[in-house]
Amino acid sequence: MSDVVKTFGSTRALDGLDLEVETGEVHGYLGPNGSGKTVTIRVLLGLLRPDSGRSEMLGGDPWHDAVDLHRRIAYVPGDVNLWPNLSGGEIIDLLARLRGGVDPRLRDELVERLQLDPRKKSSTYSKGNRQKVALVAALASHVELLLLDEPTAGLDPLMESVFQSCILEAAAEGRTVLLSSHILAEVETLCDRLTIIRHGRAVQHGTLAELRALTRTSIAVATNRPIERLDSLAGVHNIRTDDGAVRFDVDGADLDGALRHVTSFGVRSLVSRPPTLEELFLRHYDDDLATDQPSNSTP
Amino acid sequence: MTATAERLPVAHRRSPRRPAQDRLVGVTQLVRLVLRRDRTRLAIWVGAIVGIVVASEASITGLYDTQAELDQYGALVRDNAALIVQAGPGYGLDDPTTGAVLMNELSIWTIITVAVMSIFMTVRHTRGDEETERAELVRAAPIGRHARLAATLLGVFVANAVIAIGVVLSLLAYDLPTMGSLAFGSALLLAGVLYAGVAAVSAQVASSARSARALAGAVLAASFVVRAVGDVRGGTLSWLSPLGWAQGIRAYADERWWVHALTITATVLLVVGAVTLEARRDFGAGLVPQRPGRASAAPSLRTPLALAVRLQRGALIGWIVGVALISFFYGIVADQAESIIEDNPDMADFFAQLGQASITDAFLATSVLMLALTASGFTIASMLRLRTEEAAQRADFVLATATTRARWVWSHALVAAAGTVILMVVVGASLGAGLALMTGDLGHVPRLVAASAVMVPAMLVLASATLAICGLAPRWSITAWGMLAVAVVIGLLATLLKLPHWLVMVSPFTHVPPIPAAPFELLPLLLLGATAALITAIGLGAYERRDIS
Repeated sequence: MSDVVKTFGSTRALDGLDLEVETGEVHGYLGPNGSGKTVTIRVLLGLLRPDSGRSEMLGGDPWHDAVDLHRRIAYVPGDVNLWPNLSGGEIIDLLARLRGGVDPRLRDELVERLQLDPRKKSSTYSKGNRQKVALVAALASHVELLLLDEPTAGLDPLMESVFQSCILEAAAEGRTVLLSSHILAEVETLCDRLTIIRHGRAVQHGTLAELRALTRTSIAVATNRPIERLDSLAGVHNIRTDDGAVRFDVDGADLDGALRHVTSFGVRSLVSRPPTLEELFLRHYDDDLATDQPSNSTP
Repeated sequence: MTATAERLPVAHRRSPRRPAQDRLVGVTQLVRLVLRRDRTRLAIWVGAIVGIVVASEASITGLYDTQAELDQYGALVRDNAALIVQAGPGYGLDDPTTGAVLMNELSIWTIITVAVMSIFMTVRHTRGDEETERAELVRAAPIGRHARLAATLLGVFVANAVIAIGVVLSLLAYDLPTMGSLAFGSALLLAGVLYAGVAAVSAQVASSARSARALAGAVLAASFVVRAVGDVRGGTLSWLSPLGWAQGIRAYADERWWVHALTITATVLLVVGAVTLEARRDFGAGLVPQRPGRASAAPSLRTPLALAVRLQRGALIGWIVGVALISFFYGIVADQAESIIEDNPDMADFFAQLGQASITDAFLATSVLMLALTASGFTIASMLRLRTEEAAQRADFVLATATTRARWVWSHALVAAAGTVILMVVVGASLGAGLALMTGDLGHVPRLVAASAVMVPAMLVLASATLAICGLAPRWSITAWGMLAVAVVIGLLATLLKLPHWLVMVSPFTHVPPIPAAPFELLPLLLLGATAALITAIGLGAYERRDIS
């Protein structure tokens, strides 16, 4: 998708969004609530018609070629609403058949692994169980692309790990996955690349390593002589001293320079910690918050 | 520390049953919430009901302004079984006053409308809310177990009271006697609250709002039939029907206030029943337990059409049973219409003016129209599935598979259309069967099936208009019911309300030849069919272009 705009009245849900998912990868799609993740997926499903911009999925146009494309994709919404008087098993079969076919062996295996009772009427399912129905329906047919909108929001940790192994297997079979999620550990485990969206724009994309390089590393260093002029170095932030050690954060690009400077004072010990995904995420999420909190301050 | 230790035993001595007011905590705020959420709907209901009452008063006082005219009306209507079925026992028509005539023309419809409003409102705020997470939010707040039910019933009471006050004031404004006006107003209020009680019980028994409404609606329909049979056969059976009680107050005809005691007692019993049931069941569950379903889908469940059929099958069966019973009953009564009228020279003259049609045929034509209007309830509800499916985001699932929008829309449209055809065939067949049972002449069956079938094009116009509303302005889909309301008012009350010609022509039913009272005409049916096709195309076009939300 490139430069896609979608407005609802005066809100710009997508404001020039660029998103690229490569064939065969598991792509993480992160963003705060209301940032436009679900709208993106609904545009890709051809349910919403973008105002402008270009989108292409599996070589087709999501709006015009919807039906042909839909044979090759499966979708799991974040908020799963099912037909209350149909059983879970019926819904799984129906959705898979509407898509073009179900693999009964795979279906039964998934039902087993996710510990779903397919005989229950869906009105009696909990949120997590409704989610399982949608997951089994999506995973039980051999599609090329899985569009998953916060698929594990209602699952317990055990089921989440089952879900993760299912996705890794799907990826190993060469399927492409777009995974919108809030659960950073999940994204970290599953995703090859990720895109962070905010206010309907992609603010960052790349592999996890690339994103880390773009952000700061935390350094804690103890030296023989006090470090001088540290605050005058480029890319060094948030300097503080405790227990004789100096701690600071340094931008990925300036890491080399900062380390050269520090070593000239005789390093006794040095601990460096790469940014966690949380930090990455939070930096893009709330710059408003960040300016209020000196400990995370950015110049 | 000592203080806590001393207090502990007291805390343990808490009585096993909490005081009653605990179970009603928060009821005041909840009543306000109920009225706040329904303010637009209620304004429409109140406006429509009071408006129709006022228009009828204007019409009746204008039509019958001398005693001679009133006497003539009484003589025509008094012993007419067909009219008694539709209107009620006709209290006071032996010595008719304006009030008595007005009651005969108006009271049953007003009471039924108020009952329908109360049923919808009650189910919406009880079982309807439980289907969403809204009610759980409320229950998680410091709110008593029965507070939601109590608040709903109080809200319905307020709504009915506003209507009753409006009706009483309008009656007094037309110089009708105070006692009679108060009697009718209070009967309306009490009947509304009684059916809210019926709906409250249904909401506990059924496990979905849809089936709760169906259950309460069935009770209302049964009340009508019991009352109609009772009124035709001298009145004893009518004492088993709440609608019979509401009319039994005899407004403007020597009021019998004690009849209210029956309504109040029954209401109290219903409310106690609802509260008891609510205390015994789990939140979100009904008393009728869910049976386990199939582990895998039947081989036939593989198309959007199969899904639409599956989703609407239960509702359609319910409608078939309902209209079959009512139609059969009308068929039985139709035969009596003639015999009673033949004994009445005034009546014979009156019907002679209507044209060549026999009295039975005139009655049957009116019955077919009424039943078609009733069955249109299915047509519209079925078509509105499109909107429900979309709003609940279940349409997303289907449209995310290899299903075109057109195919999805058509699947529901076909079920609505086919269901409508089935219902009207059932109406005709049951009407004919009822009549055949009395006359021994099976020839009535095909004649009445034809009479009912010709209503289908008009009903399809309503269906297509519903589809178009859902396609063009999904947020306004509820207005589809407004269309039906307008068609009902035009179909049943046009003469009484002296509606202008152009307005009467708006209803598709106006254009249907009233078989068997009039000969068959093909052209209007073709035109109605073409209209339906055109509107359907517009609706489909809108669906192809817009966002699914």
